[in-house]
Amino acid sequence: MNVHNSTGSTLVNHWQRGVPVYREPVLTRTLMFFAGLAAIGLILAAARFFSPLAPFSGMNDAYAWGIWKSFNVMTLTALGSGPLAVGMAAWVFNRQQLHAVMRTALVSGFLFYATGLIALGFDVGRAWNFYNVLMPWRWNVHSAMLEVAICMPLYCAMFLGFENLPMVLERFYYTGSDATKAFLLRWAPALRRIYPFVITGAYVLPLMHQSSLGGLLLLAGDKIHPLWQSPFLPLLYLLAANLCGLGFVTFLLLMACLRYSRPLDAGILGELGSLLSYACFLFLAVRFGDLVWRKQLGTAFALDKMSLLFLMETALILVPAVALRSRSMRETPRTLLKMATFACLGGLFYRFIPTTIAFFPASSSSYFPSTPELLMTVGYMALGIAAFSLAVKYFAVLPGEIKDWNHMFRLVRQRRAAAISGGEKPWPASLSTP
Amino acid sequence: MNPGINRRQLLQGIVGAGGAVAGGLVTSAVAEEHPAHPKAPPDAVAMLYDNTICTGCKACMPACNEANGLPSDTTLSGGLWDMPTDLNSKTKNIIKLYEEPQAPGFAFVKRQCMHCLDPACATGCPFGALKKSDWGAVTWNSSLCIGCRYCEVACPFDVPKFEWSKWNPKIVKCEFCYDRLKEDQQPACTAVCPTGAVIFGKRTDLLAKAKDRIAASPDKYFENRVYGEYEAGGTQVLYLSKVPFDKIGLPKLKSTSLGHYATKVTSVLYQWLSGPVLIAGVLGAVIKRNWNRHETERPKREKETGLRDQL
Repeated sequence: MNVHNSTGSTLVNHWQRGVPVYREPVLTRTLMFFAGLAAIGLILAAARFFSPLAPFSGMNDAYAWGIWKSFNVMTLTALGSGPLAVGMAAWVFNRQQLHAVMRTALVSGFLFYATGLIALGFDVGRAWNFYNVLMPWRWNVHSAMLEVAICMPLYCAMFLGFENLPMVLERFYYTGSDATKAFLLRWAPALRRIYPFVITGAYVLPLMHQSSLGGLLLLAGDKIHPLWQSPFLPLLYLLAANLCGLGFVTFLLLMACLRYSRPLDAGILGELGSLLSYACFLFLAVRFGDLVWRKQLGTAFALDKMSLLFLMETALILVPAVALRSRSMRETPRTLLKMATFACLGGLFYRFIPTTIAFFPASSSSYFPSTPELLMTVGYMALGIAAFSLAVKYFAVLPGEIKDWNHMFRLVRQRRAAAISGGEKPWPASLSTP
Repeated sequence: MNPGINRRQLLQGIVGAGGAVAGGLVTSAVAEEHPAHPKAPPDAVAMLYDNTICTGCKACMPACNEANGLPSDTTLSGGLWDMPTDLNSKTKNIIKLYEEPQAPGFAFVKRQCMHCLDPACATGCPFGALKKSDWGAVTWNSSLCIGCRYCEVACPFDVPKFEWSKWNPKIVKCEFCYDRLKEDQQPACTAVCPTGAVIFGKRTDLLAKAKDRIAASPDKYFENRVYGEYEAGGTQVLYLSKVPFDKIGLPKLKSTSLGHYATKVTSVLYQWLSGPVLIAGVLGAVIKRNWNRHETERPKREKETGLRDQL
């Protein structure tokens, strides 16, 4: 469990297991702020269900996809690909120390997908016809849209749901009655038996739909600028999801540990930084290989508007790719945070630009999201942020030290004993101390 | 020590998945759903529009509205008469005017669905609400449409329109008067056209007729060719124009169908789900090995820390 640094003294590996955030109030002002934004977004979404799309969005027939699809779904689920990227690194490529940060990836990934799917649910015009998904003989198996429509909800509800289940059951185990404990102990082996099969599915499915999201854009053909329209769109969308997933988990770990004053773990962060650098290089290699193959390098460096967008996007991915090859850079938290942010932004630009800025429909028209449209997009994101900040307090999400875990549960046991002797409910509503 | 799957099991997994892929390749080679250059079926119908004949009388527009039960678009006319500016959710067919900036030249154009031989909208439509029906008409089925509007993103001619202001929105586009075709009648627009600027017939016949017109008066028509013969894999609406096609809003398109471009790789990878099954087999074997190692080491780890293992 210990790693040695260069001077020979021993550093504690600070991230040993998931530990809930305790000794922190649950209902903070920040949480209320995000909950308020989420409420506005969801109230508008509910109103949208009883109304046509027109008053709620700036979309039109030429730009038929607005930010709910192009940003909440096609762009943000790249950030939610942590469970894929970190999970594959941990379970397939056997980077065992990454197990400690899997839950951060799983919870954030679930929330990105869930909020994206909510956005999608209120974006489609005839949601009531979605029951057709249950009738395979009606499927158009050549449609990338069908693949996304089946694969994303299935992945979020079944696979991400299952992967997040141990975390929830664990809370019941440590806080529940003896009967609950006995029940969970009886079923734990069954859960462990199916676990490796379920996580296999949990990697195959996003490999499919994250590439299909790029595949959607193939049919748009020449409407998308040649710097982005390419037969490699599906692969590049997947590689962008990979780098965004790694980048966002790194970013989130740093931000959350900063916020809740947790010590950092140089070993694990260094590993993530190194993987992120490779992911960026891999993306860039395919990106430039594709441009060379399609003879579009001239377009890329023409220094017009689209070329400058491309260069910005590429720089945001190239800088972290190079910088994070240096060990000292990736073990400096501030630099790592910056580089992870750059990589995420670069990946997000790659996934956002071809659906909007570089999308040129045949008829002249323009699109800018309307105020309710923006409020709903912000609301869905705020819902994810609020849910994450609740999750880290109720469940063992963020990585921490074993001594913290022990200390937290001493507090829990004390409160429980006091509650039982006082004849109150045996378990407090939250893990926060009074 | 390592209880992971043995070499034999791994090989079995890989061979099984490989067989699935091979099977997929064979079946996909037999029938290609989206060929690069689709062939029109012999009974394919078509429209031929010739803007050297069209007088811009717009008789086809109210005829279309009447045949399809569409309301008049009176936004610009102050509620007086049908006056759309383009195809929209109340307009499936429109006559537009192109004027030369300097010379006193002008040209009309009739716009409606092009009824592509391999339509991008139908390729993308998840439940087949838009599909190639009899005689090649591209029709829309309300009970299969989820309103995702992928057809609007995919269509290279920006034809499908969405009812943004309706709670129960429909996709509005020309369906070649499919109901009239079923009753052995021609579409309303071609039936009513007084000059024969737009005519109805078999695609092969109209293509031949168009080429005869070009041969009869060389250099009358732009590039001496028929728009729609090859565009986007070929369409069932054909155009002859005296001005460049892009001036009258007909985009320059490659001759390969978009459906072919979009599905040529995935249709092989996904044939009978062989690609995903292969990946699942390989990933599953590796994951099972790493998982077994994890489980073997677990009791020791749990004893050391005194805490249960976290997943």
